[in-house]
Parts: sequence; C-alpha cells; structure tokens
Amino acid sequence: MTLASAALLALVLGLLAYDVATIRGKRGRYLLVEAAAFLVGGFFIAFPERATAIAHLVGIGRGVDFFLYPIVIWLVRESLLSRRRRLEDAERLTQAVRALAVAEARAVEAREPRDR
Amino acid sequence: MAVAVLMPVFDEVAALRRTLAGLRDVAAELGGVTVFLVDDGSEIPVAPDALPPPTPSFRIVVARHGVNLGQGAAIETARQIALADGDFAAYVTMDSDGQHGAEDAVALARAVEGGADVAFGNRFLGGSRVPFVRAIVLAAARTFERHLTGLRLADAHNGLRAFSRRALERVPIRQNRMAHATEIKQRVARAGPLAVVEVPVTVRYTAETLAKGQSSLGAVVILRDLAQQYLFGEAE
Ligand SMILES: Nc1nc2c(ncn2[C@@H]2O[C@H](COP(=O)(O)OP(=O)(O)O)[C@@H](O)[C@H]2O)c(=O)[nH]1
Ligand SMILES: [Mg+2]
Repeated sequence: MTLASAALLALVLGLLAYDVATIRGKRGRYLLVEAAAFLVGGFFIAFPERATAIAHLVGIGRGVDFFLYPIVIWLVRESLLSRRRRLEDAERLTQAVRALAVAEARAVEAREPRDR
Repeated sequence: MAVAVLMPVFDEVAALRRTLAGLRDVAAELGGVTVFLVDDGSEIPVAPDALPPPTPSFRIVVARHGVNLGQGAAIETARQIALADGDFAAYVTMDSDGQHGAEDAVALARAVEGGADVAFGNRFLGGSRVPFVRAIVLAAARTFERHLTGLRLADAHNGLRAFSRRALERVPIRQNRMAHATEIKQRVARAGPLAVVEVPVTVRYTAETLAKGQSSLGAVVILRDLAQQYLFGEAE
C-alpha cells in the first residue's frame, strides 16, 4: 500500500466515522448508502490493481475512471437539481408566509388616551 | 385621490418612526396617505400600538412576515395588500431606514398624478452625497441594466419609486432579495407602452444606514439571484 492510498483510506474511514457519530439518529438512514459507497471506494483504493483489472476487462484504461466519469456527471446534475429544488422551496415558503401576512394585515386603530 | 406608500421594514425602530412622522406631515397635502407597512420578520416585531394613530388623512396598515424573506418579498406583500385595499392615485415604494424622505415621496406621487406610469427616483440629480465606491457600483449596475432591460435610467437601484395603478398591476415581484430592483425594471420594460420618468430625490447616507444597509458586495448576490431566477425560475 502506498502512502497516498493509506491517506485516502484514512480520509474515507474518518469521514464515515465522523458522519455516523454526529448525524446518527436525526434523518440519518442515508448513512447506510454512504457507508456502502465508502466501503466499495475503500476497497478500490486499497487494491487498485483489482480495479484496473476489471476496467481492462470492459475496455477502460484505469480503474479510477470507472468512478471519475460517473461521479463528475452525477455531481454536475445533482448540484443543478438541488439549486432548482432550493428555489422551489423558497418560493413555497414565500407563498405561505405571504398568505399569512396578507390574511392578518390590520389597520392601526385610533387609541383611547391612556392617562385617565 | 389618496396615495399609497409601500414600505418594507426590517429591524427599524427610530428611523421607521421618523419616516412615518414625515409622511403624516404631508398626508393632507397629498389628499390622504395610506402606508402599507410590511414587517419582514424583524427580531422585535413592529408593534401597531407604537405607531402613529390614524388621522382623517393618514392611515397605516401593518402586515408581518413570520420569517425574514427580504426586501423584494416585503414590497410584493405590500403591493398585493395595497392593490386589494382600494384605488390610489399613486403607489410609492419607500425605505424605512431613514434614507428616504417624505418630500421625495410627494414629488414621485405628483409625477404619477401628472401622467407618468412609473417614476423612478434619481439620486444623482438630488442633493445626495453618494459614497465613492457606491457610485462606481451603481454606474456598473446602470450599464448592466441598460443592456438587460433597454431602459435608460441614471440611477440603478433606488428604492424610491412611484407607480400608477395600471403599472403596479403589471409589476409582480418574484425576487425576494435585492435583485427586485432590476426585476422591476425588466417588467416595466416588458409591460408595453408605459410613460417612464426620473425624478430627482435625495438618498441620505449616514454611518448608521451604511452600516446596516447593503454593502457594495451585494451586487454579487444580485447577479447570482438574477442568474438563478433565469435558470431555474418558472417560465412566464
Ligand atoms: N437589509 C434588509 N432590508 C430589508 C429586509 N426586508 C426589508 N428591508 C427594508 O428594506 C429597506 C432597505 O434596506 P437597505 O438594506 O438599507 O437597502 P439599500 O438602502 O438599498 O442599501 C429598509 O427599509 C429595510 O428595513 C431584509 O431582509 N434585509
Ligand atoms: Mg438603506
């Protein structure tokens, strides 16, 4: 194992441990997906020659390219979709807050003199 | 006929009171003023009981956003309430942070009463002492907006404006934050033949308003918001 792959492995496992420790319980079931993905990733970091063997089998140059291309494609799409979703959510929040504000709008009323 | 003032408020107390007192003083002269005040989720809610009581020519309608949405959203809420409230000779937008004065609201309302559909305030013709960096940002914004909207206006982002009813009906605001100023011009430009004028106004810059108001970096946020609406907003 090279120094670089050891560092990468430590990063992957560290991140996983940190996320599990801090997020568990609160909307945390997605951590199962994260753990599965990170463990597969960890395997390929630890045994790069296996990954490259599989890649050659299907006609791709290096093992990491398996991951690199899909990840970049996914990342671009995901960030666009999440920005779109955020705007939609903001619009819905605005509508709800505004509807309440309009319904409860009141004119300032004349006051009785307080000192009596 | 009376004049409506659309007023966004966010964490203003002393400046709001001064601004309202100024409007009350010119209310009779304008044939009546109704302020549509929208408290945009201020930390300490605007208390209606602490606002000036109504007079025969002056009235305040208060609405509150339960959470802070931004100045554009507050103006849009005020717009909807004002349009539903009745007919006004002019609809003036005006800030509550002490930078805008009642005498300029009068001038803008008069321009609309005199036949304009939209009157934009122009701080470069009034007596404003615009800080240097702000002047540069505004000059860049002016060029940008000329290309975007085709409207040739001297002042890019001025909260002092007035609309006729038919103009205001055609200017719904989707931009919640500061990009609404650009959006308003886009909509005015697209609305078809509207009579647009610029009126000299004074924007007061004090240490207090500069500290609380937008920094010049706000321009970056405005560009982001415009791009976001263009890319992800609902087609119209
Ligand atoms: N900064 C800010 N102002 C808001 C907001 N909602 C309403 N306002 C009101 O919008 C007006 C103008 O705000 P300001 O930051 O001074 O904008 P500027 O004068 O264009 O730099 C004031 O009357 C504020 O009280 C908000 O979310 N942020
Ligand atoms: Mg200001």
